[in-house]
Amino acid sequence: MTTPAPNPYEQNRVQREQQGRAPRDETERVFDDELRAKAAEIVAKYPNSRSAVLPLLFLAQSVDGYVTEAGMREVAEILGQTPASVLAAGSFYSMIKKVPQGDYLISICRNISCTHMGGRKLVGVVEERLGIADGETTADGKFTLETAECLATCDGAPTMQINYEDFYDVTPETLIEAVDRLESGREVKSKRDKPVRTAKEIAYETAVVGIYKKMGDDMKTRTTGGEVLPPDMAPGFRPSELGTTEDGGASDA
Amino acid sequence: MPEEARDRLGGTAEENRDRLGGTAEENRDRLGGTAEETRIVKRRIHEYPDDSWTIERAVDDGAYKGAKKAITTMQPDEVIDLVKASGLRGRGGAGFPTGVKWSFAPKDVFPKFIVVNHDEGEPGTFKDRELGENDPHQLIEGITIAAWAVQASRAFIYCRGEFALGSRRLDRAISDAYERGFLGEGVFGSDFELEIILHRGAGAYICGEESALLDSLEGFRGQPRLRPPFPAVKGLYGQPTIVNNTETLGNLPDIILKGADWFRQWGTEKSPGTKVLSVSGHVNRPANYEVPMGTSLADVLELAGGMREGHTLKAIIPGGASAPLLTSTDIAMDFESLKEAGSMLGSGAVVFMDETTCMVRNALVTTEFFEHESCGKCTPCREGTWWGVKVLERIEEGDGRREDMDLLLDICDGIDGRAFCPLGDAAAWALRSNVKLFREEFEEHVSLGRCPFEDEAKVLVGAHQGGGSGDAGVMPQPAAGAPSDANTQP
Repeated sequence: MTTPAPNPYEQNRVQREQQGRAPRDETERVFDDELRAKAAEIVAKYPNSRSAVLPLLFLAQSVDGYVTEAGMREVAEILGQTPASVLAAGSFYSMIKKVPQGDYLISICRNISCTHMGGRKLVGVVEERLGIADGETTADGKFTLETAECLATCDGAPTMQINYEDFYDVTPETLIEAVDRLESGREVKSKRDKPVRTAKEIAYETAVVGIYKKMGDDMKTRTTGGEVLPPDMAPGFRPSELGTTEDGGASDA
Repeated sequence: MPEEARDRLGGTAEENRDRLGGTAEENRDRLGGTAEETRIVKRRIHEYPDDSWTIERAVDDGAYKGAKKAITTMQPDEVIDLVKASGLRGRGGAGFPTGVKWSFAPKDVFPKFIVVNHDEGEPGTFKDRELGENDPHQLIEGITIAAWAVQASRAFIYCRGEFALGSRRLDRAISDAYERGFLGEGVFGSDFELEIILHRGAGAYICGEESALLDSLEGFRGQPRLRPPFPAVKGLYGQPTIVNNTETLGNLPDIILKGADWFRQWGTEKSPGTKVLSVSGHVNRPANYEVPMGTSLADVLELAGGMREGHTLKAIIPGGASAPLLTSTDIAMDFESLKEAGSMLGSGAVVFMDETTCMVRNALVTTEFFEHESCGKCTPCREGTWWGVKVLERIEEGDGRREDMDLLLDICDGIDGRAFCPLGDAAAWALRSNVKLFREEFEEHVSLGRCPFEDEAKVLVGAHQGGGSGDAGVMPQPAAGAPSDANTQP
């Protein structure tokens, strides 16, 4: 916290070089034809394409494990926005990653119930076992460690998630066992008996959720119950136009 | 033991109530102080733990009957009036009357939207997660009823990004509901049309604040909007939007089917019905417990199996991290009673802490959370929480100064009532109550020059990103861009 935040994409290049990996050519396409088609389906879910920013960033993340500069620019292009506005939105959210990530993201809850039940000691266990600190990724690109805010699993404190699958009542032993298994390519199952999947698979799943047969092209053209979308729902509309008291007419206080 | 009362009477809570003819509290007194759950929103989950989330089980159990009754036999205004009469209040934290909120949506402006706040993130709360994962059809039915009441033809579920399983279950449930004609065009043979759009968040607590949620849903940074206008008048895409919590909507099917009086048999005059309390911390059986509003906190502790063996109660968070602490269980869990006691019911997250808990650490964890999740829009919250963490860190590390306790209270005064949205206020309330109730413990840290609890400080500092004040003796200066770092995770 004592130095200004470095440019994440610059950090990226440095990290990749340190790991002996070639920097991605930032002009390279991230979305192939199949993903482009998927992106169109996602955009069609929403009355305003702007709402698809986060899902499309997840889609880009499913390719590289994080949102590359090229991916961010491509999302902007698909949505007809500036890259800066996409970055502005994406950089706000902790699940949108801007630096290379491990295949398995270990998120250890650091909030009240888990801390009081000894959860913070688990961070040291991972640090020792994998040699990475909070926010870092192993050199082999297999694991990333992060501390997370309340994961809404306080009944199983101390808890953690691996790629957003829940683990309850975590002990140093169960934690190390999970890491050992993932390291050697064996399956690890969550509290609710779900196998842990890779970060890229989960990013894809998060991106494409909620596409139903009912939706798609027919929905885009259909009006809702005889209602027509007003002009301020057209692309380019900004919420900053709201929130002024003059036009509110608020009846509630 | 909650089972005791039931065993003795051999019936369900309702049957017993009828038989005994008194309020839950009176009956409990008569029965010798045993507590038990009263399930409305958790009933299906409790009765069918193996498959409550499937459409087969849900429909078999009567799901969508409430929605069908509302759409096929009731006018939208009748639904609003019924929900108003039931006294149902929002279960997400603010406790605003649901029917009243609905009636704020202008009748002649279309389209209107329903947005479900399923972005549960208040520390200690895990009720919406359970309801979404294990009874998604109850939520969809509730959405349908709300949509009919305000005549909205699109609903969005803003599902927290970290809820992988919950999202899968909701996704499947919505898809199944479309297939059976419970959603889409011509719901239940009427000309009413409803689309549900499942949207995933991406990790930001502030998006649980309804106007920040709307910004996020529109594809922007999740920062709260100035109100008025309220979302009911101008919300998503500038249209009238009703934002309701998952648990709130879960109450609707039974209210429609059984009526306002049925619902009002539980709870208090001003807080009718039940509340799911997420109980965690140093108790024997942490879990979600659904109890009538107004149930005493002592009974809640009893439901959760009491404090762990050999330990004594020290402090309680009664309504999520935002709620000021309590030190006694002698209080009724409803909106009014907790407000009177200077705290709040909030989201209903109850965290019990025993004597092993370092309250400086508790304050630090809580304030770190608010600092991390502060959206950065307004100065008091962004800077105040950052300073709070700095001061708390040095106290916990043994570098605290005598004036630090007053400094913390001063920081709280600088945030409370001056922040743009309730996140900042909540941070101040929580921190202030820690300092005020446990000032001696804070002072002990300062006079000893270390944390009196074994190894606590070491573990804590190691775990905190960018931890360590390193500023002892010097007034710390925030580095350029440092506060906004908190929002820009790598």
